Amino acid sequence: MSNYIPTIGVEVHVELKTNTKIFSNSTNGYGEMANSLTNVIDLGYPGTLPTLNKEVLNLAIKAATVLNCKIRREMHFDRKNYFYPDNSKNYQITQSRTPIGYDGYVEIEVNGVKKRIEIEEMHIEEDTCKSTHRGTKTLLDFNRAGVPLIEIVTKPCMASGEEAKAYLEKLRELLFYSDISDCKIEEGSMRADANVSIRKNESDPFGTKAEIKNIGSITNVGISIEKEIERQSKLYDNGETFKPQTRRYDDKIGDTVLMRVKETGNDYRYFPEPDIPFVYVTDEMIERVVATIPMLPDERRKLYIEKGVPEVNANKIVQNRSLSDYFNELLEENTNFKIASNLLLGDIAAYLNKEEKLITETTLTKDRFLELIKNMEDNTLTSKNLKDILNKILEDTSSISDIIKSSGIENITDDSAIRDVVRKVIEANPGSVEDYKTGHDRAIKFLMGQVMKESKGSANPKMAMDILVEELQ
Amino acid sequence: MDDKLSREEVLHVAELARIAISESELEKYQIQLKQIIDSVDKIKEVEVDDDKMLIANWSKETTLREDECGEMLSPKDVINNAPRHSGNYIEVPVVIGEES
Repeated sequence: MSNYIPTIGVEVHVELKTNTKIFSNSTNGYGEMANSLTNVIDLGYPGTLPTLNKEVLNLAIKAATVLNCKIRREMHFDRKNYFYPDNSKNYQITQSRTPIGYDGYVEIEVNGVKKRIEIEEMHIEEDTCKSTHRGTKTLLDFNRAGVPLIEIVTKPCMASGEEAKAYLEKLRELLFYSDISDCKIEEGSMRADANVSIRKNESDPFGTKAEIKNIGSITNVGISIEKEIERQSKLYDNGETFKPQTRRYDDKIGDTVLMRVKETGNDYRYFPEPDIPFVYVTDEMIERVVATIPMLPDERRKLYIEKGVPEVNANKIVQNRSLSDYFNELLEENTNFKIASNLLLGDIAAYLNKEEKLITETTLTKDRFLELIKNMEDNTLTSKNLKDILNKILEDTSSISDIIKSSGIENITDDSAIRDVVRKVIEANPGSVEDYKTGHDRAIKFLMGQVMKESKGSANPKMAMDILVEELQ
Repeated sequence: MDDKLSREEVLHVAELARIAISESELEKYQIQLKQIIDSVDKIKEVEVDDDKMLIANWSKETTLREDECGEMLSPKDVINNAPRHSGNYIEVPVVIGEES
């Protein structure tokens, strides 16, 4: 297969986290009984009029801000006309001529290389109803009709599936952290389409475009783009051409399949929505919204690493919003952040997953966590001992030192007590002692294991090792 | 200037409107649609200072609604107005091809 230069652009629809729909006061919800979250506006009854939800405007301003977009101060809505049963008005209210945000960017990193993904525009629109195809029938549920969306469109500036994947991960992180959307791809609150074309040289015009629609996961976006590049390369290699088309990714066969051939583009006959007067965005509105934006993921990662958290841990903490918010509370304290991150991502994360709890739903207050870190740092508590008392730490309110005492697992830090155990072990294992002395380093691991076993795991491991080496001399 | 639209233009509009038209209707619409377009074109002759006038009611800012839930229809009311339904779903003939 010859080498071609891929050009990729991505369009993302994100459902906004509001109480009500974009143009009506019916509930914005998911997973409810079919057609139970609607009113006459969502159903497009004659004579009904849309009124814009204030919160939609706020969240769109917020999204434009975190995506580094310029914000339009004066805008209107447009009608996108099409006949299809997912929209009973036969038009969708959207923004075609005056998108609220434009000229933005998101920074990604792929294989250590940073790149700016440019955002052409982001606009506000209404979601359609959900249609399910059953043989010769289509079933319609209008609960989703009128759910507020923002659509974010990049420039054709990505060069691989990996970049598109990194962009979507970044986008999801930003929108989730700023409480704009819950970004659940599996529930359809974040949906991605990718436009893919390839060409031989930078100086050539863009190649014929294929649009891959409704890809079910971020991983599959990466895979489907790579597959599409491969498919187009093979066609060009064989001297074939193809028409602009819409494809979908089929998870079962692991490849894209044709949905339809686009003829001359869609004839949506956009025109300005006459039922909604102009919308004006003021400085004051922007300032009020910007003040509600929490610390964003990149800044969190940077702060954690500065505090001594290993990079891999910093990334993992940021992947979990509630852990990250919890971790932020510690940042003012003087503690060992590396140990703190290991604790949170290790046994504590395992407990939280198993119990399906958030860290804030445990009894581990900031003060108790600081006490726990201190006990780990000075080796009063070993990681093995921690496992035994973890449930108590996360479910009781007594102090960590009281839990350690009452569990009888207090780490032996008394030199003579450890020395007694070490001597006993040396006496009982003359063979291993001999091995160690004749240069078999592994023997010391065995002896150390015996010391820990003999002390029922309560000997301070670092002290025990030092004493063992000393006694073996 | 032609006094009628081309056959292709009329068929394209019919396709967008999802309607079937007969040969005699096609010929009739070639003329009638052209007349409508010519009439609408007269609006273009009006001189306006600001493009905004052509867009929407720009003299007054839109009214924004607080994000508070109100009354909704029951699923029963919703399906009562649909020609066909299946459980609480509105049922329509399957439309192949286009998915938005």
